[in-house]
Parts: sequence; structure tokens; C-alpha cells
Amino acid sequence: MQRVLLYVEDTPGMPTATAWALSLATGMSCRVFALTVIGPDAERRRDAHASDAEERAWSHLYEIEDDAFQKNVRISLLLETGDPLQELVSLSTNYDAELIVVSADCRLTCSELVRQSSRPVVFVR
Amino acid sequence: MAKISELLPRSAIVLNLQSKEKSAVINELVHPLVASGAIAEESEFVSAIVRRENMESTGIGLGVAIPHARTKAVSNIVLAFGRSDTGVDFSSLDGKPSHLIFLIAAPEEQKTEYIMTLARLSKLLRRDEVRIGLNKAGSPDEVMRVIVQHES
Repeated sequence: MQRVLLYVEDTPGMPTATAWALSLATGMSCRVFALTVIGPDAERRRDAHASDAEERAWSHLYEIEDDAFQKNVRISLLLETGDPLQELVSLSTNYDAELIVVSADCRLTCSELVRQSSRPVVFVR
Repeated sequence: MAKISELLPRSAIVLNLQSKEKSAVINELVHPLVASGAIAEESEFVSAIVRRENMESTGIGLGVAIPHARTKAVSNIVLAFGRSDTGVDFSSLDGKPSHLIFLIAAPEEQKTEYIMTLARLSKLLRRDEVRIGLNKAGSPDEVMRVIVQHES
């Protein structure tokens, strides 16, 4: 395995999913693509709420990047705008990810993700 | 938490980067920070930032790269900014060269501030009007004006 796509959301289970993905990447020497998706309205709106949401999204990604760096895991950060499920499915294909890792408490509809994704999905609890 | 404009000294703004290659660009941006005393140990800092570059793509796309490192060679968070007309390969995922390059140097122990600075800067640079302003700026003062104007 060479590429793992980690879907990042601000949920209580996210640190566990991140640790699992980084551990897998360490063991298999693979690259992690950490993806977070902000809603389409965040791009259009430039009010304080949208701005804070984007800043929080970046800070989650950079936290993960820093952890990955300490563990010698190669990582790329992706912040996209749009529908989270559609972006996740689409980018897993674009970046040729061999595995998608999500936290079991993510806000995605898990059954829809499994149905739409052409890649295996691991839900970490 | 300090603003981006408060962390970027005018002396560390290089509007016409001479270097074409990533490691040379990093050195070009590090020099003014060493000259001002913001980076105490040049070789330690450069090796930390190069190590990170080898692990990650700090090109965030849209013609922007943010090379960064957290090391003991630095006592306070500080930024440098360089602009390259030709563009520099920072291994961006969109495959395009980076023209706007912000370097972040941070002390080992200031992880939270470092993460927040990265997040704020990334958010700022995703805005079209900010990148257009930085590409057009004719002086360090104009660069600062663009950043101050768009910082929340």
C-alpha cells in the first residue's frame, strides 16, 4: 500500500482515527493525504463565522501534519470546498488512494460512503 | 495571538527572488532572518526546514508555498516572504510552481502558536484578492498593506 486518504473532521473520535492512520502509514511506509472539506457557503461568505471555520479546518490539518512529521510519515494536506462526501469520493480516485480512513463518529453518512466509494473504507472507533 | 503582519519584518520581504530551486530559495529567505538575529543557528534551522520539505509538500497550490519548521534555533515566531516571477517547484499537489513563498520559523516549544500561524496564513492566501495584491505589490510597504487590509 502506498497511499492512504484520511478524512478529517472535528469530532471526538478524530484523534483516534488519525493515530490509527499514522500508525498504519508508519508500518507500511505509505503516504497520507489528509483531507478536510468546508461547506460551499464558506467560500462565498466572508463573515467571521466562515472565516473561523476555515481557520479551524487548517489548524486541524496542520496538527496532523506536525504529528506525521514527528513520526516520519510523509503527508500532504488538502482543504477543499464543497459537499464532503462527493469531495472525499472524488479525491480518493484522483489521488489513487488505496484506503480511506474515517472516524466512526464522522458526520458523513457511512452507508453512502461505502456505496459510492470505489476504494475500501476503514471506520475507526 | 500575533497577527501575520506583526510577525513579518519588512527586512524579510524579498520581492524578486533570484534563486530558481527550492533549497536555494529557502536559503535566500533565511538570510535576512539570520542577519536580523531572528534565527540564531542558521544551519540548524535550514536542516530542519529541508528535512520537513523532504517529508511533505509545503506547496499548498494556487501558486503558494509555506515552508516551515519548529526548532530550538529560533526564539520567537517569525516570517519571511519571497516572490518569484518564474516560480519554484515546491511539489504542490496541483503540479504548479509556487510564486508566493512564505517561510515560517518557530521555536520548538510554541506548537500552538505555530499551528495557528500556519492556519491563519493558509486561510489568508486562499483568497484570490490577497494573492493578486501580493503579486502586484511593488514594495515591502505595499505587501504589508495587502496583508493588514485582509487580516481579520
